[in-house]
Amino acid sequence: MTKEMKFESPSFAQRIKSMLGVDFYRLFHTPLFYIFLAIAAIIPVMVSGMTTMTDPNGQTIELYTNAWQIISAEDSLYVIRGIADYANMNMVFIFGGIMVSIFIGHDYKSGYVKQLFTTHAKKQDYMISKSLTCAFAMACMCIMYLLGGIAGGLFAGYDFSVNVGSLVIAILGKIIMSLGWASLFTFLNIIFRRYFGISVASSFFFGTGILIIGVAAIIESLNLPTYVLNLFLYGSSVNACLTSNVGTLIVCTLVSASWALIYNLVGTHILNKSDVY
Amino acid sequence: MNAIEIRNLTKNFGPKQAVNGLNMTVPEGAIYGFIGENGSGKSTTEKIICGLIHENGGTVKLYGRPHTDVDIRTCMGVLIEAPGCFPGLSVWNNMMIQAANLRIENAEQEVVKVLKTVRMEGAAGNKYKNCSLGMKQRIGIAMALLGNPKLLVLDEPINGLDADGMRIMREVLTDITKLGATVIISSHVLGELEKTATHYGIIKGGKMIAEMTAAELEVSCRTFIALQARDMSRAKFLLNSKFSRVEEDEAGYLRVYDEVKTEAVVKHLYDNGIVVTEIKTDKIGLEEYYIDLMKEAKKND
Repeated sequence: MTKEMKFESPSFAQRIKSMLGVDFYRLFHTPLFYIFLAIAAIIPVMVSGMTTMTDPNGQTIELYTNAWQIISAEDSLYVIRGIADYANMNMVFIFGGIMVSIFIGHDYKSGYVKQLFTTHAKKQDYMISKSLTCAFAMACMCIMYLLGGIAGGLFAGYDFSVNVGSLVIAILGKIIMSLGWASLFTFLNIIFRRYFGISVASSFFFGTGILIIGVAAIIESLNLPTYVLNLFLYGSSVNACLTSNVGTLIVCTLVSASWALIYNLVGTHILNKSDVY
Repeated sequence: MNAIEIRNLTKNFGPKQAVNGLNMTVPEGAIYGFIGENGSGKSTTEKIICGLIHENGGTVKLYGRPHTDVDIRTCMGVLIEAPGCFPGLSVWNNMMIQAANLRIENAEQEVVKVLKTVRMEGAAGNKYKNCSLGMKQRIGIAMALLGNPKLLVLDEPINGLDADGMRIMREVLTDITKLGATVIISSHVLGELEKTATHYGIIKGGKMIAEMTAAELEVSCRTFIALQARDMSRAKFLLNSKFSRVEEDEAGYLRVYDEVKTEAVVKHLYDNGIVVTEIKTDKIGLEEYYIDLMKEAKKND
């Protein structure tokens, strides 16, 4: 008589819980996370520090008029006309991209994915877990950037007056955008999983938002409405500015969630169709 | 029921055909020695079994179910090439991560148990990157043993193991199969494999060229007469003149593979003035059988 083998079928919740547990454990135990948190805090301080310096003509470089401009621009400035338009919390998504690339790159370099996918782990769980963990890491970087920005503002002696509601919405908007960005970077790292250097470079390239900045310049020169750019991650991140309102927050949430869903679905499909290791 | 049943498996990497219509049957409870040259398709086949890479054609069934069914992996233990551990984390933390991935209850106790099994409990606090090759292999084996797997897939697990490690490996394989588990193990250390394997599969160019039980191998392995004489070179000349296959082995014995009686060999040499100082009959081992089979396959190619 043959004995029938019984196999455990863990639910999605059980699977994702264990995978998230491992990913968060790894995140908190890798120096990489803390290094990038430190970078996120130091960058705004350094940018503020620049504003206390003088140029060759002996004039003080005036990048900002208000401390909170270190966190976010006054308006939705899709086209960059100076470093001050660009040097704000959106830079977290550049460093975040590099961090995600290194974090996921370690999975492949160490052979961990091989160990993982020989268990009951599903590819969709991997995508979701990495996106959520990296989104959390980037959200933490946003908070560190905020603290660094406040310290930098105090250091440079900037005015701190602001519409508190808009500021909170701008910060929340950028934190919410972390999910979409993290999903994009996870997706890029799935595509270039065998080429670590290309993963880092592509994350950096997309993180700068250079594509949207270029498109914005064309749209502006054609006098077309720029709000369509809010459909993209960089556009919505820029849109979360110091004149934001509740609508901005809703747009950020919808855009971030939609791109996260798209990247997770396509990334899962690619993982399912390709060899893991 | 068979633990693994593979039919007409094919896998290409670009123009290179790594697995070419492979058939394989691994009965439940077997220790299946999977043997083949470098690049013959062993690791590729094992990776397909574990779901790490996709096949281009054919079927793979594990306990009667398609290998793509991830639920089956709740009862699989795998060591492919080297263990997938984070170098900066300790052995213990790496083990705990795998335990979490497997959703093992009482993970700490289980990790302690498997580390003890491979005599690595003393190195649990070491960073993985500071472990030697042999230690890493033991960790890989311990990781594969987590969660009491019913199917163990081990790719070159003996590589880098010292004598004690090999003995532990033998004990582990024997113990786990006593509990009803099935093991598929690929290795180039055939002498070691011969001590534990109950079944064998020999692969060449992505095709299974022979599959047999240990008992069948025993029957297939030819007997030979090994001897030493006062004048070895003349003895070799004389034996070659009468028998069809005479070879000198690494230990300096002359081997006569023809089906003849020992007395006939001794008499032939004695009649020609050669004194035999030592003579015995023996059987070729797995290694020689494998080499013979490979030579034969090369001829047929």
